[in-house]
Amino acid sequence: MTAVQERRLRELRSRVLVRAFDHRQRRHARGVWFRLRRVLALAREAYALPRDEAERLIAEGHRPDPVGRELEPPRIVLFVPAERVAEIASARPLAVRLSADLLSAECLALVPFPTGPSTT
Amino acid sequence: MVGSEVPNLLEEGAAATLVVSQDLDVGVPVSQHAALRQRLDELDEFEPSAEEPSVWTPRSPDLLELNFVGIDPAQDPAEAYVLEDDRLPLLVFGALSLVSRGAELEIGGTRLALPRPAGLLLEKLVTDRTGEKGERDLLVALGVLDTSTTQDLDELETLYRRLRPELRHAVRSNLTILSLLAPRPGMPDPQSRRAEVAALLRRLEAAATEAP
Repeated sequence: MTAVQERRLRELRSRVLVRAFDHRQRRHARGVWFRLRRVLALAREAYALPRDEAERLIAEGHRPDPVGRELEPPRIVLFVPAERVAEIASARPLAVRLSADLLSAECLALVPFPTGPSTT
Repeated sequence: MVGSEVPNLLEEGAAATLVVSQDLDVGVPVSQHAALRQRLDELDEFEPSAEEPSVWTPRSPDLLELNFVGIDPAQDPAEAYVLEDDRLPLLVFGALSLVSRGAELEIGGTRLALPRPAGLLLEKLVTDRTGEKGERDLLVALGVLDTSTTQDLDELETLYRRLRPELRHAVRSNLTILSLLAPRPGMPDPQSRRAEVAALLRRLEAAATEAP
């Protein structure tokens, strides 16, 4: 076995160990990133909202996704229909990607893909 | 062939518009290793890399580097080993056990064996890589998804159901990463295909009833 092959095998086995740990811990803090990525993956569009608009949406019956409460500081993450978001003049569109812009938004409105999660 | 050139060849007429490859991955079933070894001298346009003898570098800058990797159908998808040989030692990656032989193409008088798209797609999604290599592999998966038929996706779901929960989770986790990648030059654009990725994620979540 060459040194390069030995290194690649060692790296692969390390990644497998980390993945096994991640899987065991997936329902705890270790799994938050996956859960956040998952809700973003199911979103066609993302918008940063002012807090009062997010609270208005909650009062209308839109349920925050639990992943927002798992982050520190907590965020409000809501799935909202595109027509409702269009009524919010202060909604700021964001690229659906793990960017600093998206991660620093206190309140997020996500528009689901047509077969995506329920918005209420 | 098991790498980034596959989506190019799966395109209509092998149009090769999806991926700009950096090398050519040749999957070698371990049962065929001895037969390949006997024919290595025919590769007169290439020479083995001193550092990694499973990599053959081209003598001409117009050719891609060849990267031979071993396939052992009996292997666990999370394992890997080295098939020792003084001439062509091979890294045998377990995830490649998900890949099986598919259609054949003939280009310029050369017969090329392509993998079945479902197995290759799953291999790319189950493999845990990081950094640029990881992102490129996920974008290759996107290229395969792009060329997949309804039957290919049905086969993917069947193969996915057979994986153990940890590996199924890895597949779904990689799909979420793929969905959020930024575009890269010379690779399929993930932003314009997010709906297909979301639909596949939904389908796989439904296929094995596991909480996210």
